[in-house]
Amino acid sequence: MRFGGYRGRILRADLSAGTFKAESIPEDWIRNYIGGDGFAARLLYEEVPGGTDSLSPENKLIVATGPITGTLWPMSGRTVFVSKAAQTGIWGESHVGGFAGAELKYAGYDMLVLEGKSERPVYVLIQDSHLQLVDSSDFSGMHTNDVTSAIKKRHNDPDIQVAAIGPAGENQVKYASVIINNARAAGRTGMGAVLGSKNVKAIAIRGTGAIDVHDHERFVELAKEAHMRIRRHPQAQEMGKWGTWILTATKQEIGELPTFNHRTGVFDEWEKLSGDYIRPRYTISDRACFGCSLGCKKVNYIPHGPYSGTLEEGPEYEGLMSFGSLLGIGDYPTCLKANQLCNRYGMDIISVGATIAFAFELYEEGIINEKDTDGLKLEWGNKAVAIKLVEMIGKREGFGDILAEGSKIAAEKIGGRAAEFAMHVKGLEVSGQDGRTHRSIGLSHATGARGADHLRSLVIVDQMGYREIAAERWGEDKIPEILDPYTETYKAAAVVETENAYCIRDTLIVCWYSVSWPPIFWMDDFAKMLPLVTGIEEFGSLELLTEIAERQVNLKRLFNAREGITRANDNLPKRFTDEPMPEGPGKGQVVNLNPMLDDYYTRRGWNLETGLPTNDTIKRLSLEWTRNYN
Amino acid sequence: MTSQLTVDYTKCTGCRICELACSAKHEGSFRPSYARLKIIKYDDLGLDIPNVCGPCEEAPCVDVCPVYAMRRDPITKMTFLDHDKCILCKTCVGACVNGVILLDTEKMRIIKCDHCGGDPECAKVCPTGAIKYGPTAQSTIVERHQKAMTYLAEMKRAADTHE
Repeated sequence: MRFGGYRGRILRADLSAGTFKAESIPEDWIRNYIGGDGFAARLLYEEVPGGTDSLSPENKLIVATGPITGTLWPMSGRTVFVSKAAQTGIWGESHVGGFAGAELKYAGYDMLVLEGKSERPVYVLIQDSHLQLVDSSDFSGMHTNDVTSAIKKRHNDPDIQVAAIGPAGENQVKYASVIINNARAAGRTGMGAVLGSKNVKAIAIRGTGAIDVHDHERFVELAKEAHMRIRRHPQAQEMGKWGTWILTATKQEIGELPTFNHRTGVFDEWEKLSGDYIRPRYTISDRACFGCSLGCKKVNYIPHGPYSGTLEEGPEYEGLMSFGSLLGIGDYPTCLKANQLCNRYGMDIISVGATIAFAFELYEEGIINEKDTDGLKLEWGNKAVAIKLVEMIGKREGFGDILAEGSKIAAEKIGGRAAEFAMHVKGLEVSGQDGRTHRSIGLSHATGARGADHLRSLVIVDQMGYREIAAERWGEDKIPEILDPYTETYKAAAVVETENAYCIRDTLIVCWYSVSWPPIFWMDDFAKMLPLVTGIEEFGSLELLTEIAERQVNLKRLFNAREGITRANDNLPKRFTDEPMPEGPGKGQVVNLNPMLDDYYTRRGWNLETGLPTNDTIKRLSLEWTRNYN
Repeated sequence: MTSQLTVDYTKCTGCRICELACSAKHEGSFRPSYARLKIIKYDDLGLDIPNVCGPCEEAPCVDVCPVYAMRRDPITKMTFLDHDKCILCKTCVGACVNGVILLDTEKMRIIKCDHCGGDPECAKVCPTGAIKYGPTAQSTIVERHQKAMTYLAEMKRAADTHE
């Protein structure tokens, strides 16, 4: 490979024919898309035509890495799964930590593309140049953790990285996830269901090769400095201790802890879901993903009570939210048990919790009753019912079969007023934020390429009070408005720039933490590092990186446009725009979405009426090639 | 004082920065499979254990070497390999209790930790202090061992006294 950091090869597995093929990565992909999300978007747009059924053999599943994956750069152990999403039928991507992406690169490939559909259940085995589709009939119905152990045992190699689906993926639960080595989840948008539709139970990867970078000595020096910046950063140290559990208290304080299916933003029992409460009682060890000096993953053990003996990593803040406050459950052991079940069945904990919260509210409103729910009493705070529903969804049993479709389709099936209570954008359930008390996330949720999403463009510096950083990024004059969570002014500016930086983050691929929050690295750090890794001097220009990021945003938008997404779909559930926040610091607030959307489209160069990239924008970003594929 | 690499697995997060930094220094590329140490990960238990060269009371790699290519410095207790004498029989690879002596089948050579000549990279990059380099007496493991031995001796003394 001419450029450092890459292995230079895409591995394609044709599941229908049972063959493998490696091809090289075109140079213009590297120059125009860098890697990760960018490569995947380029490939998916060209090879999966508009209107393809997500669960058909014509859909493809991509596992992508970036130029720094598997190197010493901090938090570079990320991998992305990309496909046309099973849950939403639009652009789908899910980033995951752990070690699988690095292992894929050590095996010699930057990307893995799964095509077609296998006749019998198989797992894809990649051991350096040894490539095989191995029969996995005996793994059918197995939980992800058991599949992982079984594959490691069969090949007598504990270092194999296994990305597995559980029963939920096999049953094509719409938000089924892919679980890597027991507890790292590529959770959102239903990547597990796509794997399940292809009859692939797992992807097992082991590589022993080397990754060479362009300027080894200077890169190592820079990477070590970057590690030291994280180790010395006070907030990174806090993150290492508490993980994302810090957020519960902060969210409660600002009145943005989604409670009772997003009805309100304050939860009386929040203390039992906070890091201060959990860590001394349940945490037994801290863990990290590849190359991470922060280490935010917590392993927890429940010593007593109904879920005693539960040993599992996590959940993150999002899990505490979706199985805690969102359901009115102020009990950590329930969250951990739910997380364990979600991991074992292979399901996205955010969507599972949000869909159950949706059902709880329908029950309270009298839209469904015990006859519909197989006799279960869906009352707020009912722990046993919440746990029972997780298993029913994973197995698609009884009422769980309807919920397994996600809240959007479930609402259509139930009919009546049900749709009012389904908290989703474009079919993806809303994550643990609320635009009413943090206006910019309202815009992020509405415009996110994969739906209501906190990872594509969540502006953190405005909410967490990083005044100096905000002033540096957007100018001193805009500061009062940017830092005011209750005004729409300038929020699009913040979202656009943040989204651009996150796009570069997702091409490298580097973790959310240290880039997004705490904000230690930003575009200028990437511009310093990328030329040393790749040897492409042009990557040192912030303008070029911004252009590459914009290209990625627009390409994903064009992908969605092909599926019929327009401005009308960039919306929020009525609850966020019409129902004022009933209590807490943000009392009385609603999101006024339209002015922010206008501003956002203008900054992106999109048509204000359709919400789609204009011809000028397409030309400016050299995306004319997209017209050749429908 | 003799210095050794010592580990405290309760602090290890399993990030493998040590493996990356080790291969970066000695191989000039990022290749954990050729690192001179290894993190053993137990994902099902949430446990990560760093395996490094030493501290060994006995040195099986030295004892089994048929051509005396592996030797041990009597003062530092560090074992090192004389590559000119090595016949690549791999006996040391199998004998190493920590599993950190490797055979490179591409370049046909034994890969073994040399403590970076007294300034080991892995200890410098470890973010949690799970891998340290220093006099063995400072090691937490040795401390614990000594503590346990003291307790055992005390229990024996108590038992003897009450007989």
